[in-house]
Amino acid sequence: MRMVKNIMNQELFTIDPLAGVSRAAEIMEHFKIGCLPVVEDGKLVGIITSRDIRKTHPNRLIADAMTRDVITVPPTASIWEANELMEKYGIERLVVVDKKSIMGIVTKAQVIAELNKYIDSLTNLNGVRVFYERACQLVKEGHEITVIFLDMDDFGLINKEYGHIYGDSIICKAAEILNKIVDKNRDTLCRYAGDEFAIVTTRPLEDAKEFAFQLVNAFTNEKWPEEIKVTVSAGVAGGRRSGIRNFNENSNYIVKNLINMASLASTKAKKQKRPVVFVEAVDFREIV
Amino acid sequence: MSSKETSQSIEPLRKADIAIKLSEFEIPPMQDIMLVGKKAPIGPEAVRQMVDAISPGQYEIIRLNDQEIFEAAVIKKSLLKLLPKEKLLSVVIEEGNRIASENMVVKAQINITIHISRMVDL
Repeated sequence: MRMVKNIMNQELFTIDPLAGVSRAAEIMEHFKIGCLPVVEDGKLVGIITSRDIRKTHPNRLIADAMTRDVITVPPTASIWEANELMEKYGIERLVVVDKKSIMGIVTKAQVIAELNKYIDSLTNLNGVRVFYERACQLVKEGHEITVIFLDMDDFGLINKEYGHIYGDSIICKAAEILNKIVDKNRDTLCRYAGDEFAIVTTRPLEDAKEFAFQLVNAFTNEKWPEEIKVTVSAGVAGGRRSGIRNFNENSNYIVKNLINMASLASTKAKKQKRPVVFVEAVDFREIV
Repeated sequence: MSSKETSQSIEPLRKADIAIKLSEFEIPPMQDIMLVGKKAPIGPEAVRQMVDAISPGQYEIIRLNDQEIFEAAVIKKSLLKLLPKEKLLSVVIEEGNRIASENMVVKAQINITIHISRMVDL
């Protein structure tokens, strides 16, 4: 996934804290921008937005109208991380700062436009890149994650018997079912490929196992069009990481391993005609 | 009117009356205490700049984060020798709230009289 530095506005306009609010309004109007970082002696001391200007007397100094606690983001942050920050603080813009020097501004619109490239167009679920990014982020933050891989059974036969249009509608319905069940605070769902879905969750492994059964049962209990029987097999993989010291460097390794193990477990579940197969906790070791 | 007549017409006479009012500019202009409304034309930082320039070292600026109407108070340091800051400000803010709105800057003149009664052995 692209980083903040790939999409940010690098043409930067700043303002002094002792300038007037009306001057800031003129600059924003002239350059058609929604905010100005406030810089004093080369340091970022605040940010003034069009919202700040609207609620402030035009005679005031920038220092008396600006927001002092500026939420910043490093240029190497992912688009996903930028979006998370904006959601968390309910803001529309982030100042991109590298070692205390301002590099640019990234807006909500830019982030959303970029994220939309990673959304699956058929189901509107996250694409695999968002899923992978989220999983890596969770690992870096020190969360114990579990991956649930869901593979629809005999989906090829459904396509052959009913046609791909019908097959697509089944995929969409499956996405709806899963989307209703997942808890967005703990689970990130994606359409992995074709008829495969994946969930990365921060639920403890035991809870994740139960959750996988819940997902499988939701398919079984659903009334599908044409009275067709649609089922899904699930593979669950979680892992202890006592052997890993540096989560930042090893997050890719951990996530790829878990996805792979969960997908193999789902294949095993299919072969053995079991709804869910678990991969018992793996003790990840440091990569040498 | 023909063009010939226009060129010969007399320009109207223009006069200006000038009225001048002179009075002394008070230094400092903010008296004893100044309360700055949240939507006033000047904010705490502007007040700081003004006070530092006009009366350096004589005033203290206090940000009022928990007030509805005022966001800052400028207070003469000499008053704080007579009365603790909290006691003085709470009274002034309470009275200011009765008459002011967020858009205003209110200045207050404060007269403090200390009543002392002491006994000494004869």
